[in-house]
Amino acid sequence: MGQEHIEIHLPSRLWYIEPVLAFLKQLAQQIGFCQQRIADIQLAIDEICGNAIEHGSEGDDKGIAISIDVNDHQLDILVRDKGTRDRGSWLTAEKLEEISQRRAPDRERGHGIYMVEELSDEVKMEPNSFGGTDVRVRFSLSTDEQRRRDTNPSNKPDD
Amino acid sequence: MSNGSMTVRENSDVTVIEVQDDLGSYVASDLRENLEDLLGSKTQKIIVNLGSVQHINSTGVGAIVGAAKRIRQRGGDVKVCGLADNIKRTFDLTGASSVVEIYESESSAISAF
Repeated sequence: MGQEHIEIHLPSRLWYIEPVLAFLKQLAQQIGFCQQRIADIQLAIDEICGNAIEHGSEGDDKGIAISIDVNDHQLDILVRDKGTRDRGSWLTAEKLEEISQRRAPDRERGHGIYMVEELSDEVKMEPNSFGGTDVRVRFSLSTDEQRRRDTNPSNKPDD
Repeated sequence: MSNGSMTVRENSDVTVIEVQDDLGSYVASDLRENLEDLLGSKTQKIIVNLGSVQHINSTGVGAIVGAAKRIRQRGGDVKVCGLADNIKRTFDLTGASSVVEIYESESSAISAF
């Protein structure tokens, strides 16, 4: 598999996240990620897309965009929302500070972005020029996963 | 009672919500509604059985944590059971493992009330 680029545009409805997670599962399996890492990828993208829809685009028709760059050893995923009319980006220093200060095990919300940091190999979150938020995450095959895939040709992605 | 993604049933004086679908952002709102309905009734003992769930996000965990906090104010509790390893991992990542009691099986969760 060379470097491939995939674009997905979703309406701002939570229902559409699930089919994306199913697609990512298959993609991650093809690359050779183990089951635990695939679950991590799905959970991280669920959290990011949920934020993008609930806080970054709910109530308008802009939707969200998911860009995936894939090669035979890693997945780079960008989730982009264009902000809401009244609030703009949900990711500001003030909001992050507020979430951080209020975070506690018995809080119902505010855990998602911290989970994404734990689950991904790299993460970058920043306001974008559209008035919304970009969240970029990277998942790389571990040495063990790469070795396992390379010794089992049935797991190897097609060239 | 069943709404497709979960079943609500009685086991003596314990109400069991058995979740049959993965608890992503969409289905998590169903769980929240079911729990809100139970909080509006006289039910004091609730078990959320996650034995068929392969995926849960922080919204789903948050719904359980929120319900547990509210029902404890009137002397009740919400316990969870049947967590696969990656479901337990989500409870650990959010810190919910330290807030909600987790049991291997439904019977052990019922016995703990």
